[in-house]
Amino acid sequence: MKWLPVIARLIVGGVFVVAGALKILDPGAFAVDVANFRMLPHPAVNLIAITLPWVELVAGVLMVIGVWSRGSALVITAMCVLFLIALTQALARGLDVRCGCFGTVEARKVGLTAIAQDVVLLAGAVWLLIRSDKTENGNET
Amino acid sequence: MKRAIQQATLIVMAGIALGLAANAVSPKRIPYITPPKPAVVDQNLITLEAAKELWGTGAGFFLDARAPADYAAGHIALAFSLPVEAFDEHYNNVAPMLAPDTPVVAYCDGVECELSHRLADRLRGLGYKDVRVLVNGWTAWRTAGYQTNTGTQP
Repeated sequence: MKWLPVIARLIVGGVFVVAGALKILDPGAFAVDVANFRMLPHPAVNLIAITLPWVELVAGVLMVIGVWSRGSALVITAMCVLFLIALTQALARGLDVRCGCFGTVEARKVGLTAIAQDVVLLAGAVWLLIRSDKTENGNET
Repeated sequence: MKRAIQQATLIVMAGIALGLAANAVSPKRIPYITPPKPAVVDQNLITLEAAKELWGTGAGFFLDARAPADYAAGHIALAFSLPVEAFDEHYNNVAPMLAPDTPVVAYCDGVECELSHRLADRLRGLGYKDVRVLVNGWTAWRTAGYQTNTGTQP
């Protein structure tokens, strides 16, 4: 089962690399998506739209290449939780908005599919986090 | 876990720094602080300036939504009286002069006054396509020094 964590890392990290990169390609569109979630004070929307995709990208790249596994798993876990809150509150408030999860390449609306996908990523990230932390306390490298 | 938190903090800080730096040089850069939303343009309202211009061209049809007594005491020159409280009774006085696409300006008096909005709604309901409200119309028009009239005639 040695390959399982590697595959998990490639998938979870890879999704974050792609998601971050696609958002970076069109910051203006992502800012609109962020604003549509109506969670932030209006002036702060652009700052989040500028920085969040890069945090996704950095954490995703580190997870894929297996550097700083614990840190990247923690960041990705935290972001999955954050996205879960954002998606759930949008759905609960009945906001008919574009997910923005992968920039503008998908016009998917906020819905159960997006939430399910986020939960899967969250589960993977939590598993990797617990695993890497155990590795830290054990003697594996 | 302590190590994970340290690494995570650095990752987040690196991401933020990269994002801020990349936005400074990106051809698709956006302002760091979101600019205020442009004011929503309410197509159902008309500014005093635009109303005056329309009045000047003679193409606009001004309707006073207030009670006939208020109209008689003073109204925008060339405006007709169509008190919304007695709409059915007075509508026929102006109907022959109105086409569906005639630019109509409804007004009453006071920022809070709802008569003009109600009149505009009634007219839109009858199929008039270009009906707008001049908010606080009578006071705004009068204090701007534009032409007014008294009595029961426009």
